[in-house]
Amino acid sequence: MREARDERARVRGAQRGSVSDLEALFRTHWPRAFRAAYLVTHDAAAAEDIAQESFLAALRALDRFDRRRPLGPWLHRIVVNRAIDWTRTRRLRAEVELADVLPATPEASMTGDETFSALARLSPEHRAVIVMRYLLEFTPGEIAEALDLPRGTVNSRLRRGLDALGDEL
Amino acid sequence: MRPELERIEIPGEQHARERAWTVASAAFAERRPVNGRRRMWRPAIAVVAVVAALAAVLSPPGRAVLDEIRDAVGVEHPQPALFSLPAPGRLLVASDAGIWVVQQDGSKRLLGPYREASWSPFGRFVVAASENELAALEPDGGVRWTLARPGVRSPRWTGSETDTRIAYLGRQPRVVAGDGSGDEPLCAASVRRVAPAWRPQAQLAVALTAPSGAVYVVDLDGCLRRWTSSPTRARRLEWSSDGARLLVIGSDGLRVLDGRTGEVVARPRGADAAFHPGTHELARIETRDDTSAVVLGARTLFRGAGELRGLAWSPDGRWLLVGWPAADQWVLVRADGGRRIRAVSNVSEQFRSRSFPRVEGWCCE
Repeated sequence: MREARDERARVRGAQRGSVSDLEALFRTHWPRAFRAAYLVTHDAAAAEDIAQESFLAALRALDRFDRRRPLGPWLHRIVVNRAIDWTRTRRLRAEVELADVLPATPEASMTGDETFSALARLSPEHRAVIVMRYLLEFTPGEIAEALDLPRGTVNSRLRRGLDALGDEL
Repeated sequence: MRPELERIEIPGEQHARERAWTVASAAFAERRPVNGRRRMWRPAIAVVAVVAALAAVLSPPGRAVLDEIRDAVGVEHPQPALFSLPAPGRLLVASDAGIWVVQQDGSKRLLGPYREASWSPFGRFVVAASENELAALEPDGGVRWTLARPGVRSPRWTGSETDTRIAYLGRQPRVVAGDGSGDEPLCAASVRRVAPAWRPQAQLAVALTAPSGAVYVVDLDGCLRRWTSSPTRARRLEWSSDGARLLVIGSDGLRVLDGRTGEVVARPRGADAAFHPGTHELARIETRDDTSAVVLGARTLFRGAGELRGLAWSPDGRWLLVGWPAADQWVLVRADGGRRIRAVSNVSEQFRSRSFPRVEGWCCE
């Protein structure tokens, strides 16, 4: 409750030009936005671009933003949708989908992270719902609304995603 | 599940966050104040200025020549090599080692020890000039033909799918067919050493610079001179993609000429400029005191200490590449609304050059 109140105050401050409030919002929301983009795209440079552009889009819309709504879900929704778009575009360009042909991505090998490797085996659409549910803590209903999907599709993607992760992990 | 997802290590996360904050705070400082918030605006700029100044003081010496306040900063943590281009197309680069083709995935190939080069109209070939040779090359380095001529300079290729011509300078301006045949003088008797510029959307009309500095356009068919401008100090000529405007980049500044009459229609400020593809809008390099800025219309896209040199648009018009010799960097600036910046360092070393490499063209999706 208090967090929500603090965030509203920061949004109001940023709307009035306060750099310190903007910085507080940035520090709160950037890490998760960047992480979400990375977990969907599995490309650090693309994730940086996506998170950065999403944050700038939020800045551009700051004056019109309804302070009663929390900023995070709004920002993260933009991030995840852009990340999904990016992965789709990449597939359309017929670039090699590393996850399809390699046991793990090079970055995964470097981090040695089993979760990351397991995620890499999922489709971007499945990764997106997993990330939204378990990293960004959207409810299935919120995911359905954010991604413009039927609720049943979200549930089935979550179930299949978790099954696949369970197998891998 | 969440702890697992948060434990995943992301390469370069810290630097990404710093870059993003720099860009976001600069964008915030440029945000137009809305009614009732004007009083808050100046303090906001002041705070950003103080933050930037503190960052400069606290940063390691030599970083970005002094982190003065810039409209867009992204070069503190440049990529150490050109890993990829941010937009479709291929770069043609001239360095001390010769002419290079850089593919979108960052792979590059040295075509040979040529001094200058340009793309064929559809980017399938390259025409390159060495001291006494003109050569048509394939982007993989294969030589299609060569032509021995003294003092070859500034080759430029134009034409359609079926009929192309290459204009170049030697002891006099000359023109040769795209298959290397029919080399002959190009109408005019003598010109300055300014690269010819073929007029787009026109049947083999080319802009040249007379010894007086006047720019003129001549039709190859009949050697008919279309118009002649007043004298300039032209160093480079560039047409807008519709052929309606001719940009004259001179040692005395910029002039935009009407492509049909040669009359001056604008004298924008700047030391260098390039037409935004498909438009008459100019990206310009403005230099004031010890700072240079890349400006598009009224927007400053990037500002850096020292000289910025050379502008190359991506074929899709979304990205602009500018050289920053003092930092040995190429800076890639997103120009279509976003404020994304990418920088690549060690440019000279990557192209085996002691002088700063020059981008000859970014061609063709």
